[in-house]
Amino acid sequence: MEMGDKDKFELEKRSDNHINYHSPDSMPSDWRYSSANVANSSLGLVSTDNQMPVCRGDLVGVSSCSSASMVDSFSPGQWDHPTNSQYLGFCDISVQNNASTSNPMGIRKGGPASLRTGLDKTLDIGWNPPSSMLKGGIFLPTAPGVLPQSLSQFPEDSAFIERAASGLKSLSVVQGQKNVMNMGDSSRDTSLSVEHVAIEGSPLKNEKKSGSLVRSHDEAKQGVGGSGNESEEAEFSGGGRQDKPSKLEGNGGEQSAKSPASKKRKRNGQDADLDQAKGTQQSVEAAKDNPEVQQKGDENPTSTPIKATGKQCKLGSQASDPPKEEYIHVRARRGQATNSHSLAERVRREKISERMKFLQDLVPGCSKVTGKAVMLDEIINYVQSLQRQVEFLSMKLATVNPRLDFNTEGLLAKDILHSRAVSSSTLAFSAEVPMVYPPFNASQPGFIQASFPGMESHSDMLRRAINSQLTPMTGGFKETTQLPNAWDDELHNVVQMGYVTCAPQDSQDINGSLPPGHMKAEL
Amino acid sequence: MNPDHHSSLNPSSSLKSRFTKTFLRSLIKINKQRPFPYCPREIFQRCHRVKTAADKSLARAAGSRRVWSRAMLCKIRNRSLRRGCQQRPSVRRIIIGYQTTKKGYCLQKKMSDDQEVGTDQASKLRKLVPGGEAMDLCSLLDEAAHYIKCLNTQVQVMRRIADIHSS
Repeated sequence: MEMGDKDKFELEKRSDNHINYHSPDSMPSDWRYSSANVANSSLGLVSTDNQMPVCRGDLVGVSSCSSASMVDSFSPGQWDHPTNSQYLGFCDISVQNNASTSNPMGIRKGGPASLRTGLDKTLDIGWNPPSSMLKGGIFLPTAPGVLPQSLSQFPEDSAFIERAASGLKSLSVVQGQKNVMNMGDSSRDTSLSVEHVAIEGSPLKNEKKSGSLVRSHDEAKQGVGGSGNESEEAEFSGGGRQDKPSKLEGNGGEQSAKSPASKKRKRNGQDADLDQAKGTQQSVEAAKDNPEVQQKGDENPTSTPIKATGKQCKLGSQASDPPKEEYIHVRARRGQATNSHSLAERVRREKISERMKFLQDLVPGCSKVTGKAVMLDEIINYVQSLQRQVEFLSMKLATVNPRLDFNTEGLLAKDILHSRAVSSSTLAFSAEVPMVYPPFNASQPGFIQASFPGMESHSDMLRRAINSQLTPMTGGFKETTQLPNAWDDELHNVVQMGYVTCAPQDSQDINGSLPPGHMKAEL
Repeated sequence: MNPDHHSSLNPSSSLKSRFTKTFLRSLIKINKQRPFPYCPREIFQRCHRVKTAADKSLARAAGSRRVWSRAMLCKIRNRSLRRGCQQRPSVRRIIIGYQTTKKGYCLQKKMSDDQEVGTDQASKLRKLVPGGEAMDLCSLLDEAAHYIKCLNTQVQVMRRIADIHSS
């Protein structure tokens, strides 16, 4: 985690600068500033030791300590910078990143009125993204409540954030899904209470939430953060309780799933976030080694981390625009959700679009088509027409007077393989096909008529298919005939198929039913 | 297009050449086995046989690495088993059962994936491509692409044969 180290250094510097906790009113500015810092740091984590999101002075100190320890718990191997600010900054940044990266899906939707303050807004914004981030496996442990205040105070935790991000990069597991939802709810709570709860809850819930985390997360988290959590808990609880014993207790109750729904959600979210943040950080290492739940996510993390870190470095200038920032979880591309589910889905979507492009090349006349639905329709029509062509040709071959024998088989094979005659005068078919259809049913050769009952349905379908295909393909025909493309034959075949299907009906002899002109065109 | 591509890799065993050889052989066999059909029913039977031979040779030429070719061969085998001999019901049931369970399970699993692109179209494509029932959209598109390529070759060769015979 080279970037992490660098960020750590920056974090330390920043934390020194932002020692003072700003009042909640000033939080927005701080948060923005911190987000700016976060932007600067790839991780976006602003570790502000001093800027612990503590409305109360007590909490600041406690949070700083706890954050420090919490940071340790997050990634003991990676971050030697355990500072509350770091942690908070982490959360903050993550929130910011989430806000920027995640779609504005929930970003302001669920924002309760209470969060309309600067803090709240940031929390809201930052909160929703975290949910998306969590999905990507980057669960930001910071409970929404914690973030608002801490956010403003952690502008300097960029280093921490970077480290966390780098650590989380390898994390593709989606733990945040559940937590995110909780976090969203919790974000609605007041920041203060949330903060405390978050701080308190994270260490407390580390163990609890570990279960929700990816199995790798659990292993890593428990192994690593166990000690840290305990220490943090003690500190947090002490600090938190001092300021808002009622809330904290309520939060504590939440942990035990007894508190009111709102608080509970908040706390759960916070805890989950915190836990996940820690767990993810811890499990990042473990995740790297352990098979990820989402293998696709694994692929992404390896490739995107570098990309993400690079992008994070450029985020500094966009401090004022939190939603644009990436979260620590570098795996996700810039501006994209980092939930592991969404990552996997993104990979899948890319695969599908790549295949659609390939199909577009295969199916003639689809170069201009855009959109999966239309493309799929074209593909379906083309496959149907090809299958009907095969049917018709087999019928034709069945009625052909067999002049084959073993002697000529080899010659025929060579002839077929090497025949590349392609006529370019197939455009005439499009105009003639409709005219051919009417006589199709009218004149049917006697000896073939009996076989047509079986084929009439085919012919009808074929007619429809060909008609449906002709429209989009007429344009393509003209193009293809002008350019002897590889699929020119197919186009001709398709057109001729419809034409040939109808044409033989006019003549009595199916063998020689194809007009010479059409035959030439085929060839 | 196919021949060129394949010939660049291995001229002697391109998809087109393999299909051509196999199909011609089966055509000759069919023509030898039955007298030239004059009544519609015979023509229809013959047509069906020719079509089956074409599909079978195409599936064989495509190789067993593809899901659709394997599924097509299975279908043909099942059809012949069902039609030809009732003496091996166990084999038939096993094959059918395997296919249905696989299809059902995969369908359930992949239903959610269809919503992204359009369930109707995806299901239509599944029906068209042999063996497409038990595939996710991603591999379905993959198989469809290869299937289209092989179908093109098939149509091309068959048309050429028909032309040669008719001219």
